[in-house]
Amino acid sequence: MIELKNVSFVVPDEESTNGGAPKEIIKNLSFIFEEGKFYGITGPNGGGKTTLAKLIMGIHPVTSGKIFFKGEDITDLSITERARKGIAYGFQHSARFKGTTFRDLLSIAAGTDNEDELIKIIARLGICSIDFLDNPVNSKLSGGEIKKIELATIIARNPKVAIYDEPDTGIDLWTIGPMVELLKREKEAFNTTTMVVSHNKAFLEAADDVILIRGGKIAYEGDLEGAKPILEDLSVCGFADVCEGESYAECYR
Amino acid sequence: MLNAIDKELLKEVADLEGIPKGAYNIRKNGELLGREVSANINIETNEAGNGIVIRIKPGTVNESVHIPVILSKAGLHDVVYNTFEVGENSDVTIIAGCGIHCGSSQSEGHSGIHEFRIGKNARMKYVEKHVATGEGTGKRILNPTTKVFLEEGAHAEMELTQLGGVDEAKRVNEGEIKAGASLLITERVMTDKNQEAESKNELLLIGENSRANIVSRSVVKGDSKQDFYVNLEARAKCYGHIECDAIIMDRGISQTIPALKALHSDAELTHEASIGKIANDQLMKLMSLGLDYDEAVNRIIQGFLK
Repeated sequence: MIELKNVSFVVPDEESTNGGAPKEIIKNLSFIFEEGKFYGITGPNGGGKTTLAKLIMGIHPVTSGKIFFKGEDITDLSITERARKGIAYGFQHSARFKGTTFRDLLSIAAGTDNEDELIKIIARLGICSIDFLDNPVNSKLSGGEIKKIELATIIARNPKVAIYDEPDTGIDLWTIGPMVELLKREKEAFNTTTMVVSHNKAFLEAADDVILIRGGKIAYEGDLEGAKPILEDLSVCGFADVCEGESYAECYR
Repeated sequence: MLNAIDKELLKEVADLEGIPKGAYNIRKNGELLGREVSANINIETNEAGNGIVIRIKPGTVNESVHIPVILSKAGLHDVVYNTFEVGENSDVTIIAGCGIHCGSSQSEGHSGIHEFRIGKNARMKYVEKHVATGEGTGKRILNPTTKVFLEEGAHAEMELTQLGGVDEAKRVNEGEIKAGASLLITERVMTDKNQEAESKNELLLIGENSRANIVSRSVVKGDSKQDFYVNLEARAKCYGHIECDAIIMDRGISQTIPALKALHSDAELTHEASIGKIANDQLMKLMSLGLDYDEAVNRIIQGFLK
């Protein structure tokens, strides 16, 4: 479905954090994501997981290498063009707007403002309140609400490839289970190739295939059992200060 | 009679497809084009002959009055003084607005000075749109002034919109808010090319538990310039909030100068202000939903000015 061929991503001098020298974030990475499979992408922070996801969506341009979607070279396509081909992306930190409502975003995503259609979509997410549609997508929304909106806009597109970057950020532990179920259900119903970037055990357990990215390369690919020794090795967490409460206990950093 | 340009302007400023129902006063090129009064709403020319007095009887509810002004005469600079007396316990909507069509190299302008006296426990919604059209090169100038006096328990909501074509706008809003009364002003201004818009707001919270909220949304395109000033002064236990956001596009420039003055120890005043380009994460999000760059910009601006 998605093929990465010798993909590299180098941060230009002016954007790099290590004193101006270019930094290679993704190093000559090749991989084939198969249709209808659920991938859990994990690994230490700074390892390149999010960058890899953004390269697939076209948010970052690759420095070298090629990306294919159903055999078609999409390396030079824009975000918009990739979106129109059926790739969708859930941002870790969702954009907040002024004056734009959930209904506006959902209508754009679904390509219709027909209320019945929109209600069908939110019902798939387990949002029962129609009033929720008219919530402004602004900074007043809670972490859980904004995440639901982010998910809804992806599901509304019935994508062929759905990429979720840390979908559990900012939500409570009890919401994670239903979210995993939702992604699995959507994958089954639409044969969506699903990629979830996450540290969360719940997503990794749900995955058909776990990919561990470290130092810009694939350090492991296979089932979760096989990944565990490496993950435990990495469990000396350098991010304990930004981790919060219960979700930390469930995470493999 | 209304010609095609008049009709277009009326539609833009007052959402009118023709002559409205209910009370109205339509002014065209400095002269009265038509007027209708209702049982509860009286409109008459003021003593000086330079404007109208609109009197709304106490207890009038669910009625509206349209008072659009249209201008299409080269070189005309129209000035009017309108007074609104909104009776106690009434609930009315006033739809004003000015449309300028400029077809020559001569400038055209309108200065409307609107004074509102809103009686006890009355509610008023005031909707004002300003637009300018036409192929002419003359400057289109609109300098509106609104003065609002709110008696105890009164509520006024004012939507002031200028979304294009106006070359120069100098707006003044003044408000005096008594006990238990509230004033909400929402201003939306979009400028382009070499247009300039300035808005000066002086709001006085003078009564206990009075409230004021002023929201400004600016989009500054091309080489245009917008300045926004607010003085929010509290003289009693009250609440006041200023929110001003500007989106800068192209080479536009913008100044926002909010001032809070608490002259009473129980006053609660807040403000938030931001100026900047369209946030990149907003653009990325909409593009990832299939919009191209221009479509994404338009949707963000539309929402912002909605």
